[in-house]
Amino acid sequence: MKIMIDNPYVPIKTGILDVIDESQTIKTFSLVPDKPLHFKAGQFIEMTVPGIGEAPFTPSSSPYDKSKLEVTIMKTGKVTGRIHELKKGDVVGLRGPYGKEYPLNEFEGKEILLVGGGVGLAPLRALFLALVHDIDKYKDILFCCGSKTPSDIIFKDCILDKWQKLDKRVNFRVTVDKKDDQWKGKEGLVTTTLDHLKINLKNSVAIVCGPPIMMKFSVFKLIEVGYKEDQIYLSMEKNMSCGIGKCGHCRMGDYYACKDGPVFRYDKISNIHEIWD
Amino acid sequence: MHFINRSNLDRLAKSLSKTYRVYVPVKSEGNRSYERIGDAGLGDAVIGEIRPTETIKSFYFPARTKVSEYFPGDIPEKKHRPIAVIGAKSCDLASLAVMDYVFKQDTFKDPFYIAKRDEGLIISSDCTCYGESCFCVAVGVMPYPTVEFDINLSEIESGYVVEAGSDKGEKVIKDYSKLFQGVGHYLEKRDANRKRLKDELLEHVKSKNIPAKDSIQDLFKKKFDGDLWEETVKTCVECGACNVICPACHCFVLKDQKKDGGFERLRLWDSCLLRSFAMVAGGANPRKLLAQRLRNRFDKKFNFFPEKIGKFACTGCGRCTEACPGKIDIREVLSNLAK
Repeated sequence: MKIMIDNPYVPIKTGILDVIDESQTIKTFSLVPDKPLHFKAGQFIEMTVPGIGEAPFTPSSSPYDKSKLEVTIMKTGKVTGRIHELKKGDVVGLRGPYGKEYPLNEFEGKEILLVGGGVGLAPLRALFLALVHDIDKYKDILFCCGSKTPSDIIFKDCILDKWQKLDKRVNFRVTVDKKDDQWKGKEGLVTTTLDHLKINLKNSVAIVCGPPIMMKFSVFKLIEVGYKEDQIYLSMEKNMSCGIGKCGHCRMGDYYACKDGPVFRYDKISNIHEIWD
Repeated sequence: MHFINRSNLDRLAKSLSKTYRVYVPVKSEGNRSYERIGDAGLGDAVIGEIRPTETIKSFYFPARTKVSEYFPGDIPEKKHRPIAVIGAKSCDLASLAVMDYVFKQDTFKDPFYIAKRDEGLIISSDCTCYGESCFCVAVGVMPYPTVEFDINLSEIESGYVVEAGSDKGEKVIKDYSKLFQGVGHYLEKRDANRKRLKDELLEHVKSKNIPAKDSIQDLFKKKFDGDLWEETVKTCVECGACNVICPACHCFVLKDQKKDGGFERLRLWDSCLLRSFAMVAGGANPRKLLAQRLRNRFDKKFNFFPEKIGKFACTGCGRCTEACPGKIDIREVLSNLAK
């Protein structure tokens, strides 16, 4: 068969430059595709483990870093289990980028609240790095991070330690669900970091990413403290298989998460059934 | 308009088989299927009557397609003859609107589907009777082709009224003009036959109490949260037969496997009734319950696609009703939307 147009199912051969252990269950893979693959923060890629299959991930690195891209992956299923066995020098495949990115122009001049939990911090790191790249365009950033335990906190060095000191417009609130003996910080669910916000809500947007239950309660909390539905942005995790709006798996109401998302403004999807499951 | 007698249609089929892989409907012990013909010609192919059990989607969107080889490179070019299907029915042609939207018109294009569709030839035919499960007229599809055919045949006595539906069809008729004759009074007969069958079918469908076509989407929305789905799903065994037998179901899954030192990616039909369909790796599942998954099937057909293309992803072929081991009758479900 003569294929006249690009075949969207073919992965680009990609080398693993480095593997970083983030926690016991989360690793970051630094990837260099044979052909350049430039994403915008919030877009996702399909990563192939040769002969095993594909899974969708949102890159966690800065979209301005054109030399490589990083994906931060929790070991949770068949494909991610095999990905965690991969080492520096191994070969994987990439397709993409797919979907809608975070609408950075809608964030300009605003106080930006990032709310992330667990491996959901991955897309938010890419967004955070894109925001601080042009920090003068935004009023300030408050990054609220939740993790299960202190040992589950990811991106400690590259985000928390570095930016906390660098710019007073950038602030963090970090919490763990369950502390250990060494933990001097806050204990409590990530929603507790949303109490006593010193933010002008009229001029703010909130971006949430994490496990479904964390997103659900964070959104409810944001509404409770006064955010409107159209000030909240979510990264939806659905079963994106083809990535191009054909296979049907990731449908949510009138949308496909792969094509119309994965970034959605909450008011666009708040009336769709089953979004939190 | 033209007329072609059976023996000339046989000659046409034989000629076309030099350029195309030609498939025709055959009937064996009550089962109808498409069979490839060669030099033997039409044989006892049944051009009229009703749609075969299998749909024509398999011709353009096969159950199993290799979509990629990696690494390196792509599938080596292998030239197959394009497909000509003779005797395709209106319900299957109408479903191509859904398939074309998904694979051809939407943002990303599927080169495999597009190549097969563009190269293919469709010689459709009028239904001359209806099956018990047929209800096309209730969802706005006529029992005779109105769209997507290159040539249509309407069986009359010992031959067929011939109508071209595309430039490609016109060309075939021109290329083989000796096989065709003037349509004469057969056209009136065709129209009378069409009206008779349509009326019979409307009468047949009447007893099923299917709500008016234009009310179905709103009724579905109203029944979304009701207990209709739990009631309906009681006999569902989650086999997915309704999906694979449906001419408008397009969902698929990509599966990778090793092949000759490299790897290959297959695109396989999938079923939204299966538990894992929408499940993500972490185990979260937006449609954990079978009732939610059955509702999803109706949501997609009678709500999602009307929003996208103004058409149902159901053409009233009735195959799912016949295939369901749980005896779930799609007409009954539609009728229950209005209760």
